[in-house]
Amino acid sequence: MRSDSELVTGHGPRGGRTAVRAARLVGLLALIALVIAFPSMAPDSFILSVGVVIMSYAVLATSWNFVGGFTGYVSLGHASYSGLGGYATALLILRADVNPWVAMILAGLIVAAIAVPVGIASLRVRGASFVIVSIALVLILLLVFQSWGTFTGGSNGLRIPRPFSDDVLRPEQHERFFYLHAALLAVALLCWWAINRSRFGIGLKAIREDEDKAQSLGVPTFAYKLVVFVISAFFTALAGGLYALWFGFLDPIFQFSILVGAYMVLMSLLGGIRSLFGPLLGAVIVGYAMEFFKAQYGDTQAHLIAMGALLGVVVLFMPDGIIPALTNLVNRLRPQAASIRELSAAELAEQRREAEAADDTKEEVHR
Amino acid sequence: MASEQPPEAHDEYLLELVDIEAGYGRAALVLRGLTVRVPPASVVCLVGPNGAGKSTVLKVASGMLTPRSGRILVGGKDVTRRGPQRMLDAGLSHVLQGHSVFKEMSVSENVLLGAYTIKDKAEIAERVDFVKGLFPVVADRWSSLAGALSGGQQKQVEFARSLMVSPRVVLLDEPSMGLDPKAAATVFEQVARMRDAGTAVLLVEQNARRGLETADLGCVLDLGRVHISGPAADLLADSSLGELYLGTRRPDPTAPTTTP
Repeated sequence: MRSDSELVTGHGPRGGRTAVRAARLVGLLALIALVIAFPSMAPDSFILSVGVVIMSYAVLATSWNFVGGFTGYVSLGHASYSGLGGYATALLILRADVNPWVAMILAGLIVAAIAVPVGIASLRVRGASFVIVSIALVLILLLVFQSWGTFTGGSNGLRIPRPFSDDVLRPEQHERFFYLHAALLAVALLCWWAINRSRFGIGLKAIREDEDKAQSLGVPTFAYKLVVFVISAFFTALAGGLYALWFGFLDPIFQFSILVGAYMVLMSLLGGIRSLFGPLLGAVIVGYAMEFFKAQYGDTQAHLIAMGALLGVVVLFMPDGIIPALTNLVNRLRPQAASIRELSAAELAEQRREAEAADDTKEEVHR
Repeated sequence: MASEQPPEAHDEYLLELVDIEAGYGRAALVLRGLTVRVPPASVVCLVGPNGAGKSTVLKVASGMLTPRSGRILVGGKDVTRRGPQRMLDAGLSHVLQGHSVFKEMSVSENVLLGAYTIKDKAEIAERVDFVKGLFPVVADRWSSLAGALSGGQQKQVEFARSLMVSPRVVLLDEPSMGLDPKAAATVFEQVARMRDAGTAVLLVEQNARRGLETADLGCVLDLGRVHISGPAADLLADSSLGELYLGTRRPDPTAPTTTP
């Protein structure tokens, strides 16, 4: 049992903090090892392709979390940027004969440029209004890409040539794309991590908590929101482009789908938008669950019902997501850590003493 | 001494609000020709019943509310009609009523947000050391979530945040609100320490006795004017002040005040 003074001065947790840091490092290394080993552990080509899909979701959700996690602006329309990224990559290859990888990067930059005016227009409104504005763009793009058949392939879709030569077999393709997605995910995570620790990140998080207060402290809120929105669109477009190169076929109805945007939101909320690895964890769970339901119930809508139920559970029982919920649980079970519960108990004792002290003061005043 | 202080004593004051008239929207005026002056390295406490306009004085001083008439001077320089950002630049830092820390952010992030207008990293580090020395809680709980701190501790984080810009005058709106007596006592001690460290404080306090005990000068506000002002100790000794708070009678402008 530690004394109250230790809790207040925080000498105790410092020892725990080194342990936490070590545990985090071990966890990170285990995660990296798992990702590297996955293709060789996968029993067949199908499981490997599921792995690629989940990785793609992880990149999309992490990219979404640049806006959602830092600023708290919930965009349901991020499919705009993944879809545009995919189409831009495909069209650059097909119509301009650009190298596939260069096309993917160029597509990311083009989408980032498009995101500037979109952000300027949509980031003026907050809350539910922002959600609706973000959906509007997806619907517009869906109509445009379906109708403009001569350029985009329309509803018939667009076939993209594979970037690797034909003598690379299918499992080999999956493996390469799995690692490419993992690399893109690593870059996105690294970028998120760096922002989270920076002055820029502090300003963004202040916007999430109270935008007006942040502004009153001198945070250039609008510029910050716009910059992080463009970064988010850039990574989302790269994810869309990479997926298009792997999948080899684009159809507007799937590319510009509200569902894709909703999945990014669900995955991030499930894992925890304030945590670096939250969207990744959410993507693994949601991605796996979706593939499971699709495999079990075929082409029915059962997976959508399951996703709806999952979202309900998250909102009801873990509004902050799995990672914060687990962190709280661990803190509660671990006596040496200064959890909130322990602190409030210490404070209760302190307040009792304060009340007594206050009574004494009152008596003095009366005397 | 009557409500007006001699007007010629200009540059002796860090902050002067002169003949301020202000109100919200088209409603009646809240401040009706109010004058308050804050000398360097002092705590000036505004007391008065609800609706007297105490918080409005701070909003006018921090630029959140533009006065309809009157002048605001900082160090003798006219800063009337400037917005919140430029008032902050002029050296007026406002700590809002209630709890205004960012609860989901760490203490360090909260404090660094106060330095958002400062670009020089060395200066920020220097200010961080300064506020850590002034508020031990800030140093001890540097990486805790601000929301996990008690109300009194959160208030100290807010003080630290407001001091990051090296303000000339800190405007404190009811810092003891919602705090238990011990935590409130600590907060008042911190206010005195801020003054001793060279920052003037314009304090609005519902708990008039504790506020005046901390302050050097006091102003009693009612109906948008300063009715009595003078050394805080004299106001404390004035028995009519208690009656004012009991609401038994309004102060009679012709009644004898603290100093003959």
